[in-house]
Amino acid sequence: MSMQTIYLLIPLLPLFAAAVVGLFGSRLPRASAHWLTIAGVAASFGLSVYVFMDVLQGYEFNGPVYTWLTSGGHSFEVGFLIDRLTAIMMLVVTFVSLMVHIYTVGYMAEDPGYSRFFSYISLFTFSMLMLVMANNFMQLFFGWEAVGLVSYLLIGFWYKRPTAIYANLKAFLVNRVGDFGFLLGIGMVLYYLGSLDYAAVFSVAPQFADAKVEIIPGQPWSLMTVTCILLFIGAMGKSAQVPLHVWLPDSMEGPTPISALIHAATMVTAGIFMVTRMSPLFELSETALSFVLVIGAITALFMGFLGIIQNDIKRVVAYSTLSQLGYMTVALGVSAYSVAMFHLMTHAFFKALLFLGAGSVIMGMHHDQDIRNMGGLRKYMPITWITSLIGSLALIGTPLFSGFYSKDSIIEAVKFSSIAGSGFAYFAVLAGVFVTAFYSFRMYFLVFHGKERWMEAAHHDHDDHAHDDHHGLGPHDKPHESPWVVTLPLVLLAIPSLAIGYVAIEPLLFGGFFGDAIKIDQTAHPAMHELAQHFHGALAMATHALTTPPFLLAAAGVALSWFFYMKRPDIPAAIKARCNGLYQLLENKYGFDDFNEKVFAGGSRLLGGVLWRTSDVKWIDGFVVNGTARLIGRISAVVRHLQSGLIYHYAFSMIIGAFLLLSFVLFRLL
Amino acid sequence: MIFQDFVFYTLAAILLIAGLRVITARNPVHAALFLVLAFFTAAGIWLLLEAEFLAIALVLVYVGAVMVLFLFVVMMLDINLDRLREGFWSYLPIAAVVGVLMAVEMALVLSGRYFIEAAAPVAKPAGYSNTAELGRVLYTDYLLPFELAAVLLLVAIVAAIALTLRERKDSKFIDPAAQVQVKRNDRVRMVSMPSYTEPEAEQAQQELKP
Amino acid sequence: MNALQSDLFSALPELWVLSMAMVILLLDLFLKPQQRILIYLASQLTLLGAGVLTVVTHVPTVGYAFNAMFVDDTLSDVIKVMMYIGTSLILVYSRQYLQLRGMFRGEFYALVLFSLAGMMVMASGQHFLTLYIGLELLSLSLYALVALDRDNVRATEAAMKYFVLGALASGMLLYGMSMLYGATGSLHISEVSSRLMNGGDHHAVMVLGLVFVVAGMAFKLGAVPFQMWIPDVYEGAPTVVTLLIGSVTKLAAFAFVIRLLIQGLAVLAVDWQNMLVIMAVLSIAIGNITAIVQTNLKRMLAYSTISHIGFLLFGFMSVSGNGLASAFFYIASYTIMSLAAFGVILLLSRQGFEADTLDDLKGLNQRSPWYAFLMMITMFSMAGIPPTLGFYAKFTVLQAALQAGYLWVVVFAVLMAAIGAYYYLRIVKLMYFDEPQDHSPIVAPFGMKAALSVNALSLLALGLLPQILMSICAYAIVQSL
Repeated sequence: MSMQTIYLLIPLLPLFAAAVVGLFGSRLPRASAHWLTIAGVAASFGLSVYVFMDVLQGYEFNGPVYTWLTSGGHSFEVGFLIDRLTAIMMLVVTFVSLMVHIYTVGYMAEDPGYSRFFSYISLFTFSMLMLVMANNFMQLFFGWEAVGLVSYLLIGFWYKRPTAIYANLKAFLVNRVGDFGFLLGIGMVLYYLGSLDYAAVFSVAPQFADAKVEIIPGQPWSLMTVTCILLFIGAMGKSAQVPLHVWLPDSMEGPTPISALIHAATMVTAGIFMVTRMSPLFELSETALSFVLVIGAITALFMGFLGIIQNDIKRVVAYSTLSQLGYMTVALGVSAYSVAMFHLMTHAFFKALLFLGAGSVIMGMHHDQDIRNMGGLRKYMPITWITSLIGSLALIGTPLFSGFYSKDSIIEAVKFSSIAGSGFAYFAVLAGVFVTAFYSFRMYFLVFHGKERWMEAAHHDHDDHAHDDHHGLGPHDKPHESPWVVTLPLVLLAIPSLAIGYVAIEPLLFGGFFGDAIKIDQTAHPAMHELAQHFHGALAMATHALTTPPFLLAAAGVALSWFFYMKRPDIPAAIKARCNGLYQLLENKYGFDDFNEKVFAGGSRLLGGVLWRTSDVKWIDGFVVNGTARLIGRISAVVRHLQSGLIYHYAFSMIIGAFLLLSFVLFRLL
Repeated sequence: MIFQDFVFYTLAAILLIAGLRVITARNPVHAALFLVLAFFTAAGIWLLLEAEFLAIALVLVYVGAVMVLFLFVVMMLDINLDRLREGFWSYLPIAAVVGVLMAVEMALVLSGRYFIEAAAPVAKPAGYSNTAELGRVLYTDYLLPFELAAVLLLVAIVAAIALTLRERKDSKFIDPAAQVQVKRNDRVRMVSMPSYTEPEAEQAQQELKP
Repeated sequence: MNALQSDLFSALPELWVLSMAMVILLLDLFLKPQQRILIYLASQLTLLGAGVLTVVTHVPTVGYAFNAMFVDDTLSDVIKVMMYIGTSLILVYSRQYLQLRGMFRGEFYALVLFSLAGMMVMASGQHFLTLYIGLELLSLSLYALVALDRDNVRATEAAMKYFVLGALASGMLLYGMSMLYGATGSLHISEVSSRLMNGGDHHAVMVLGLVFVVAGMAFKLGAVPFQMWIPDVYEGAPTVVTLLIGSVTKLAAFAFVIRLLIQGLAVLAVDWQNMLVIMAVLSIAIGNITAIVQTNLKRMLAYSTISHIGFLLFGFMSVSGNGLASAFFYIASYTIMSLAAFGVILLLSRQGFEADTLDDLKGLNQRSPWYAFLMMITMFSMAGIPPTLGFYAKFTVLQAALQAGYLWVVVFAVLMAAIGAYYYLRIVKLMYFDEPQDHSPIVAPFGMKAALSVNALSLLALGLLPQILMSICAYAIVQSL
């Protein structure tokens, strides 16, 4: 089998499984849905490992496998670029996907949409692989849209819940904003750089480093800055950076396995991957990098705060994902692309672990997601407890854990950077460490330690996130450990969460692993270089870290959360009562949602409502009454009115049409 | 030439007036008759152009056959033109404005004498048969459109029959398939009626009965 | 071969179709109702035979016949073959529908074949008169077909509207042609073209004629402001006839535009392009915006047709082979999409039940995941989402318009297409996320199911391999113009 065939098989096997299960799933035996898709993804994972080994030997591939169309001198191809950057992404995607597939067998066991779900996640795996393996912008965009589409389908998987439908439309629409920027960016690349092929674009890009464009006449802007910022807007949508982050917390309406796969480990990191891939372009624009850095820093810190007040277990993890994505973006901003990729990888493992652990807890709690109703679960769910603890420790950056190496590298890299905004970013990522530790362990303590609160909770109403089909535990039920298909992925994910950082940091960051895949302008952005200078081995880094601020801050965060939620639970309540304004601010998520809803009147919910409300009358009313959409509503109404059904109106309109055409032509003529 | 011009303008004037009356006459029969008049005058103009065959065909076919049939239909159907004409006056102003503007525009274009000024046709020699010439052209140069026009007429016949041929209304034949397929709702209509009727309503019903 | 024989040889497919239509009319007289399947088979045989004749007699050169009133070139051959395939699919889709509604009669098939003959003449017309008669042959058959369900008041009303407005449009077309005749002294397309190139002092009259010719054509295509009949006729006509009007006739209208505007009046391109731009922009805007508020599926597809026509017109913005090939590609893609979309409606219709409201599609995924999938592909294609055929179709016409320098118009069209995507996606949403309103099983002959599957999947297949269709379209245009 030639390598090209293997490259093709890797995405196509999951696609094939998805197609078979999706189309014929209802006719096939139930078990075949998971066997087929798991086999597809497992084979894909195996081949990815093989490709990874191959790439480690120094083999790379860049070329078309299929020409889609040639038009106007540009040809659009399906092509693969297999280098170390791609190989590592393929490995992460297929591994996490495989874990999630196995986990789903247990998690979705009773769901009527069993085969549909497997088909979707396999389809997602295909799309994500196409995205990372692309060697041109067209295919990148295809994968980009396809993962968005599947994500949209999966968020709305439980389509009977209005909140799920609302959330999926919100995700869809917010991502449209990002995609619009992304598409414009690709258009700029095609128009000015004359190609869509990565290699061709990257080779000519340096010639355009000082090129200017005049979008607004008389205002010359740097071509590279405009292009990179537009591309980054795409990444902001997909990787949920402020202010396009609003869809990610709501996306938790989807089943937990996809939260782990799509909204933590893979799809949301597509933006990070894309910017890394585009490093030859981003390196040419200082302004764009600063923009990236500041956006990332804001996301890293402020989204972390929101995690503190969440009571839905999945939302806590979701906000932590937002914050961690912010860290990765910060790394991109200081040109530490390999660090961003490193954190992407470790984060994929420990965040998938945390999500799946949360899912296991949710199953144990009979689909109650409110952490205030949990407590003391460590006795009942030992495997979930241990693995979640490992995940949390990795997340907060405990030395020797995988998260420590990647996150500490980011913080160090920011420290060494001198790009505009790096001062603020350094503060943000440092403060973020404390916040992360605090909310992570708040959740950990509330769930696994302390009083067993579900007995009293059985009566009191769920708050804002009440789900109609969530039963919760009765006063006399006991939570139980999940079946092996659920715990096995937890254990398998816990291993890399624990160890991958220690093993991988040296080759990945300082061993020149990525080779030519990542370009850094050493003189302008010396952060990576400095980082290498200060690195003396993984163990030394861990021991040295014990005296550095990040570790102390993390320890303080853990201690504070223990004090607040284990020792003196009355204090948080008191703080909440005192600082009501602050609490409200956080509760409203800084008002982003309100802002979006009020200012972008034609925006998410309105259009969402427009689409899912079945009654047209309601919809026209909603449509016509509100904001920018009013115009379209009016036009529709007018045209509807014109379409009176009366034949002489039609005839008259034809004559008027002919008359106007005639007048128009004669006016030009005479 | 003077005489011919005189005849032409007279016929043209009558044609226009007749055409106008076709759409303004209140009585449909009158309208149809004005149409006949319009055909006649058009035939006259064709005669002036030495298109005798066409002129006679117009009179024979349109006046003799089509219009007579049309008249019968109009008389038998008793169409209420007033209802059809409803809104005529309210639409007239805007229609007139558009019409006038359109006419002005066309006049602007056409007044410039842009048409090809064809040379006056050479007088045909004696024994020249307009009809034979027409026949020759139709069956040679214009064979394709001619045959296609014949198909067009066939389609018209097929369409007319397909749309109007029905089973006789007084036929007692019953379709068994239709009988089998009948549903309750086709036969029985459930009417919800109060068991108690107001005395006044009863009275009213009794009043209606005789 | 003498002249007449060679003339007849050029028009062999037309003669075959017309003869078979008459044979079918006669055959119908002698058949018992239960034997009418023979008529269906004879019609399919006619289409197959016509296809064979067209392909066998195909020569890559341009051949004129009947005193240069008729042209046999690659473009006409390719369009005709597309028409046969489309008509054949229509017949496959319509059989059960007709049987259940008592319309499974010889007249339907004869009229369909007559309308096909009309379309073929339009595709091959090289003379104003031939083109006009072809158009009338098509239109008259369609008027009758729309009204064929005699007891259906809506169908009758739709037919009436179609007839009256069609007559008005024909009048405009004829008036325009007469002006062009007055200005050039000829009805032959090629002569009109050559005289236009030589004499420029009749410009005003020609433009006057042009306006009316364009108006007449725009009516046939259904471009704003001559689109009013489309929603009413689409909705009122029996779905099988809507299918015919909404699919293959647009191919004929495309050929009509090529013959008249490109071959005949290319000299006046600046004038008619301005008109087409206005109509294209209005069509895309009104089509897409109005479609959003529709609850009737056929009506929604009617407005979607209007917007598609707007996109088609972009292909004419550049009178280059590239632009025309993209327009041809667009109309071919549109035909395939439209066949698939109406095919699904026909599939879901039952005795006494027309699946023509959006609600009827609710929860289709639960009733039949396969057909929901096919419909989803079709809707994606109509919305122009890659990698379906519709995406590439939109892409090429917009590219053609861009090359012709209509940047802002293209931006506007893309914006409108984005708005339009919502109503297509709404259908996908209804099918996948809503509860079905009826759970009756989907019953259809195997042939129909298979044909529909191939039809819809071809949208995906051709979307992945657009070069096949594109090269055919480009070849036809290059060989013929």
